[in-house]
Amino acid sequence: MVETIPANPDRPVLEVRGLTKTYQDGENTLTVLDHVDLQVMPAETCAIIGPSGSGKTTLLGLCAGLDDATSGTVCLDGQSLENLTQNARAALRGKSIGFVFQNFQLIPTLTALENVLIPLELQGQTLGRSTAQALLERVGLGKRLTHYPHQLSGGEQQRVALARAFVRPPKILFADEPTGNLDSETSAILVDILFELNRENGTALILVTHDPSLAARADRIVRMQSGRILPEHRGPQASPARP
Amino acid sequence: MSATVNRVEPEALPQSFLRALLHPWTWRMAWRDTRSQRSRLALYALSIAIGICALTAIYSLKSTVQEAINLQGKSLLGADLRISSRRPIPDGLLGDLAGRVRAGSRETSFSSMIGPPSGDRTKLVQVRALEGGYPFGNTVECEPQGSWERLRNTSGIVVEPSLLEEFGTSVGQTLKVGTLELPILGVVSNGVPRSNRFSGFAPEVFIRLADLPATGLAGEQSLAYHHLAVDWEASTEPERASLSSKAREALAGKSVQVQTPEDRKESIGEGLDRSKEFLGISALAALLLGGIGVAGAIHTHIQKRLPSVAVLLCLGCPSHFAFAIYFIQAAAMGLLGAVLGALAGGLAHSLVVHLAAGSLPIAVNLIPSPGILLLTAAAGFAICCAFALMPLLGIQNVSPAATLFQRPAPNPRANVLRSAVCALLAAMVWGVTLLNGAGPLRAAAITGFMVVAFACLAATAAGLIRLTRALVRPTWPYLPRQGISNLFRPHNQTLLVTLSLGLGVFLLLSTWFIRGQVLNQLKLDTSLHTPNVYLIDVQPDQADTIKSMLGRLGLPTIEDTPMVTMRIETVKGMRLSPLEAKQPAPDAQPDTQRQEVPRWVMEREYRSTYRDHLNSTETIVAGEWPPQKVDPNEAIPISVEQKLAKDLRVEIGDEIVMDVQGVPMRTRVACLRKVDWSRFNLNFFMVFPPGVLETAPQFHLMTTRVPDAASSGQLQRTLFKEIPNVSAVDLTSLLQTISKLLKKASNVIELLSAFTLFAGVPILIAAVLGGREQRVRESVLLRTLGASEQQVRTILLIEYTTLGALSATAGGGLSWIAHLAAAKWIFKAPAQFEPLPLLFAFVGCCLLSMIAGILIGRGVCSRPPLEVLRQTAS
Repeated sequence: MVETIPANPDRPVLEVRGLTKTYQDGENTLTVLDHVDLQVMPAETCAIIGPSGSGKTTLLGLCAGLDDATSGTVCLDGQSLENLTQNARAALRGKSIGFVFQNFQLIPTLTALENVLIPLELQGQTLGRSTAQALLERVGLGKRLTHYPHQLSGGEQQRVALARAFVRPPKILFADEPTGNLDSETSAILVDILFELNRENGTALILVTHDPSLAARADRIVRMQSGRILPEHRGPQASPARP
Repeated sequence: MSATVNRVEPEALPQSFLRALLHPWTWRMAWRDTRSQRSRLALYALSIAIGICALTAIYSLKSTVQEAINLQGKSLLGADLRISSRRPIPDGLLGDLAGRVRAGSRETSFSSMIGPPSGDRTKLVQVRALEGGYPFGNTVECEPQGSWERLRNTSGIVVEPSLLEEFGTSVGQTLKVGTLELPILGVVSNGVPRSNRFSGFAPEVFIRLADLPATGLAGEQSLAYHHLAVDWEASTEPERASLSSKAREALAGKSVQVQTPEDRKESIGEGLDRSKEFLGISALAALLLGGIGVAGAIHTHIQKRLPSVAVLLCLGCPSHFAFAIYFIQAAAMGLLGAVLGALAGGLAHSLVVHLAAGSLPIAVNLIPSPGILLLTAAAGFAICCAFALMPLLGIQNVSPAATLFQRPAPNPRANVLRSAVCALLAAMVWGVTLLNGAGPLRAAAITGFMVVAFACLAATAAGLIRLTRALVRPTWPYLPRQGISNLFRPHNQTLLVTLSLGLGVFLLLSTWFIRGQVLNQLKLDTSLHTPNVYLIDVQPDQADTIKSMLGRLGLPTIEDTPMVTMRIETVKGMRLSPLEAKQPAPDAQPDTQRQEVPRWVMEREYRSTYRDHLNSTETIVAGEWPPQKVDPNEAIPISVEQKLAKDLRVEIGDEIVMDVQGVPMRTRVACLRKVDWSRFNLNFFMVFPPGVLETAPQFHLMTTRVPDAASSGQLQRTLFKEIPNVSAVDLTSLLQTISKLLKKASNVIELLSAFTLFAGVPILIAAVLGGREQRVRESVLLRTLGASEQQVRTILLIEYTTLGALSATAGGGLSWIAHLAAAKWIFKAPAQFEPLPLLFAFVGCCLLSMIAGILIGRGVCSRPPLEVLRQTAS
């Protein structure tokens, strides 16, 4: 069955309200996120920057439903995460979310092609091989389909991760320092592909980075410090990219 | 591509674990995930196989040996079932069960005087007239060889060696039985079970049943016993036992006494029962050791796969699917391990039987039963899946956030799931203990102890972590500080190693201690104080003469006991005479259970004694020993053997009226005694206080101990010459039979103990090495930072030696408590302190742990750091 899923440009794909995350260490309470509010519209790109320990990755993890918040709400693709079971969150991630991690997070026992196919297989799709292959060719790995992660360089592994994130075009892509483990030349190529795929698929992008030049390519930059979001200012593009 | 994309509607993923388990993607993923791990997984499967090999071999040996021990038990009776009656046993007595009889053998036995035809010497003997292949399953040792078989077809007589000595005759000459003269065909030395425990206290002779009429001794009026020995058409012990049980039910209420090998085994005491329990405990220990191997292997595997699990969860894989993937892998390793283990266990069985053929009981099959192999492979597979659940629970604790952080995410369901798995494992241990022959309560006690042991070891590990955290000071030299700190730092191996090593030491030492207890019970008391010759029919005025005669022959007088024969007249007021209908006495209380009192218990003649003390073979289990002064107006307080009391359904204070050779005597049960019938001292069902039976007609029974057959013959001849009415019964042959049986059972125990130890040690080494990945990674980092080989090794040695010493101490302490508990509640004997096994276990465990530390250090130090770093990273 073929279904057309329209993007609703007026409703935020991600809406965060009063998000707080604390950790208890004995008698001490460590507040990592402190009443954070954030909205991301479809196809918008948003960079989160800030010093180490400011809560960027924690915010990304909570937005993606990877962890539970202490308080506050996260509404992702119209669904409130706190009301969902772990399996329901996993299903939502499979359906609407893509990830790119700093340390690639490929499954070491699968080939490049198989790693890309995993999101499709998890959705029960058996006809995605050509899509996955095309995506790998698109990121320049057409001849490395059957290579295992340990046979690929860092940049190649990250390109596999990109292909995996877009094989089932997500509504929102979370990227945690995607160039953190790469040299500048490789980073530049990868970032170009990332924004290109993002634009083509109308995917919203939440990008956590330390790299100001990378952040500058986003529609807007969210600055964080000590678990709070500082007053926002817009990036070089006046408005979110539209399909 | 565009923002509006065409998508194929996916199939919804199954929501249940079971359906996830059957989903093709799960299987595909499970297979793909093994890539580059297959040689390592094969090693894990091998570790599982060692555990299942031990389980299979021990279980297979246990079953075979148990069967053989049962056969040995059968050798004490010479049949699967023996029916005895004062009247000839009619055909068709067994009814439908007759079709299951492979062979039957009739016998008529009675006491008679026999002697050489000259008539100058005669002797009271037990004549046994036989027909058929009795005894079944025994090899009769007879000189000259084949004379026992000749007796089946040839007229003649086979006698015990002491009779030849006594009559001064030899094989080929004749003896007169009644009016018939029969040639002596041979001398039987071993292999023919006695007609009853002491065969009426007389030597036995054997003739053909066909010759009996010609002797003129077997008329209808004579006091003969008729027996039918039955050999069932059955291949297994349970089948034989079931047939005997059915026959017992079918014969209930008929005037016959039924005996099975179980009844005869009472004469060997509890040793054989304990042997069976030991075999069960060995199998349980092997199972748990195998379980440790399985859990260790799966734990190591799962720890390495957790990052992949986090990625899968991140990509939208439901957690029950992730669990199913690794459950399939664990089950596949379990299946491979079970098949390999069962085959290796079968080979080990054959090897052990081949090597120990000389010391094993008869009829031990070299080829293990395919059914047992299949059963243990299936049980091993089930155990593997069950023990894999605990480490697999680690998957339930994985959070998708692990792809971003190192922080573990708390899983509120973890404790519930862990408790459920613990309960499943405990139920499994209980079930296996039950299958191994323990009753439900004892199985529960053993399982409970295992759970407590597990909890104690976990608490010990937690205590060590806290203690070392509190103890370590920054001022300590670097190497001991680093080595000890490894015990409490994140990713420490303390809990894993303490549990696996501690449980291993606990199981192996417990097996060893219980082995000692069983072996003690299997020892036949052959000390100088244990008699082997009984002197019967001694008149009271002949006792001193016999004592001086024994002194002259250099033989001790071990016991001299008066005996008075009597019968039971009423029990709790119920008149129970075999010749009368059961009718209550006028003052009797209704007793609905009277029909359940075995008829033979009521009908038999009791030989009772009187004395003012307990013998060394007796223990009071209820009531008080009868007082020395008896009130003539009250019922006489007596002591009754506990099993007889159970059969008679009497308790302390109940009244029994005895018929003492025509004189009724009112008695009261004052005390119940447990009697060790395995000791060949003079034991009695009823003991009276002094001052009651002295005037009743009585005779004495005396016992002595002869060193050899020649002394026995000399005693017989002297008795015949000087005091001809007294007979000497030599029990040497019976003692030898029992001694051989116990020796064989002891050998089996020794063998299985050694095998458990042999199989347990590699499992424990594998379990300790299971946690090496973490230490290898850290050690390589230290090497990279400039640590010398010596420094890395010292750190590992300090950590692992501490763990080994702690595990040995905890496991040893627990096994000692188990030893005390087993001695008190199972063996009912004092526990002997055995410091050597404890010391050996401590040193062995420390060494084993040190070897593990050295092996880990060797892998780190012998290769360049980068090579190791790349390997551990992949």
